[in-house]
Amino acid sequence: MNAPVILDRRRVLQGGGALIVSFSLGRAFAEEGAPAVAGPKRPGSLATAPYLDSWLRIDADGRITAFTGKAELGQGFKTAFQQIAAEQLDVPFEAIRVVTADTQLTANEGYTAGSHSMQDSGTAILNAAAQVRELLVAEAARRLGLAAESLKTDNGAVVDPDGRRITYGELVAADMLHVQAQAQSKLKDPATFKIMGHPVPRVDIPAKVTGGEAYVQDMRLAGMVHARVVRPPSCGAQLVECDGSAVEKLPGVVKVVRDGNFLAVVADKEFQAVKAMNALAAATKWKESPSLPKQDDLLNVITSLPSQGSTILNRSDPSVSGQKTIEAIYTRPYQSHGSIGHPAPWRISSKAR
Amino acid sequence: MMTLKVNGQENHIDADPDTPLLYVLRDDLKLNAAKFGCGLGQCGSCTVIVDGKAVLSCVTPLLLLEGKQVTTLEGLGTVSAPAPIQRAFMEEQAAQCGYCIAGMMMRAQALLLRNPKPTDAEIRAELQPNLCRCGTHMRILRAVHRAARLMDTADASANERSGQ
Repeated sequence: MNAPVILDRRRVLQGGGALIVSFSLGRAFAEEGAPAVAGPKRPGSLATAPYLDSWLRIDADGRITAFTGKAELGQGFKTAFQQIAAEQLDVPFEAIRVVTADTQLTANEGYTAGSHSMQDSGTAILNAAAQVRELLVAEAARRLGLAAESLKTDNGAVVDPDGRRITYGELVAADMLHVQAQAQSKLKDPATFKIMGHPVPRVDIPAKVTGGEAYVQDMRLAGMVHARVVRPPSCGAQLVECDGSAVEKLPGVVKVVRDGNFLAVVADKEFQAVKAMNALAAATKWKESPSLPKQDDLLNVITSLPSQGSTILNRSDPSVSGQKTIEAIYTRPYQSHGSIGHPAPWRISSKAR
Repeated sequence: MMTLKVNGQENHIDADPDTPLLYVLRDDLKLNAAKFGCGLGQCGSCTVIVDGKAVLSCVTPLLLLEGKQVTTLEGLGTVSAPAPIQRAFMEEQAAQCGYCIAGMMMRAQALLLRNPKPTDAEIRAELQPNLCRCGTHMRILRAVHRAARLMDTADASANERSGQ
């Protein structure tokens, strides 16, 4: 299954606007927009975003960008993905730039949660990088009229047996990486790793310890205004009455927004929005009804809810005799999975876009 | 309009006197380090130094700061020329999400200014008001100890240069 990927240019040209690529496996993948469903599953997030250029871009000047749909929140994977891509592409760590969770640029990988970034996105980048390397070697082999097996890669270039080098930037052509990944990749032997498995300082830490731009909250756009939500006094409370007219006259206030039970205020400056939020909260009547479980009996409330059990470990050795069974129940208090940093969503209005 | 001295520079601020310092730092002066966490002085992520002391900027109104010196993490050093405490936090990789870290560093810096060789217990007691939800505490402890050593070395070499 580790046959080299060969880009058949004639078939590309015959594709009639849609790119068709054939691999040496003899299977031509379907046109764009209709990902092939047959055959073995592609690894990691390549299963849902199969095009190699969803994960890696090489520019003519040799710059390499890796893309992930996951958000770096301090897990360190932005650094790890840079290591992975650099290792499999045979370029220095510094040669890779990683773009994280940009809805215009990166694959939609859903939530960043459940320790899935490495296994989903990391696996995709690992395999995509290995396959891109194979494509580059195949293109060099075609140009040089040599067997791909006789070529190796080193520091961003394909090298022939005489030491002649063709850089990735020279080899890459438009749409060359716009091909669907194979299910299997020619991954490097871990014993030869120079970057993966070696400690690298996290790329996001310097900005975080010097006041650089590190969070959504640190983004400031021209013409930006701030909003604050008026929270209901209790869970499930209904908004009965709100007179926002006085609040709309406060300094800096742009607008009071009401949509059903949702109430918010927009102001030029952040603290103006905070003050307006407090004034608006005081001018608002809510109808409350008890809807939360008994707070002093959460253990029984939570354990009596419908649940789905799962076995974490089940190992047995029938040859052991005279065993003793030890049973224990462990509980811990319910804890909110909340971060210190507030969610800081952005909305760019269509007028400003 | 009032004058506010931040990181050695005088700034003319056009904000209501009850505006908490944090909003002035972030919105008027476009400084990123001090963070909004709770807005109630309960988490410490907004900590800055005022006249040498750690202060919660989210509950400190502008009107109390006339004539005082405010220092934020930006005022200590840069990526290319980091202060000892910044170097120490980088070398110990003492951040996970990092949202609390600027506040932790400023409170630790204030401690080191008055106690250059704090014990483990002293660092723990000092940083107690600052919360970290990721659980980076052991690295933070190591980083503060490392910062103390780095500052000691920096002082020694400065003294050598000045012939003391």
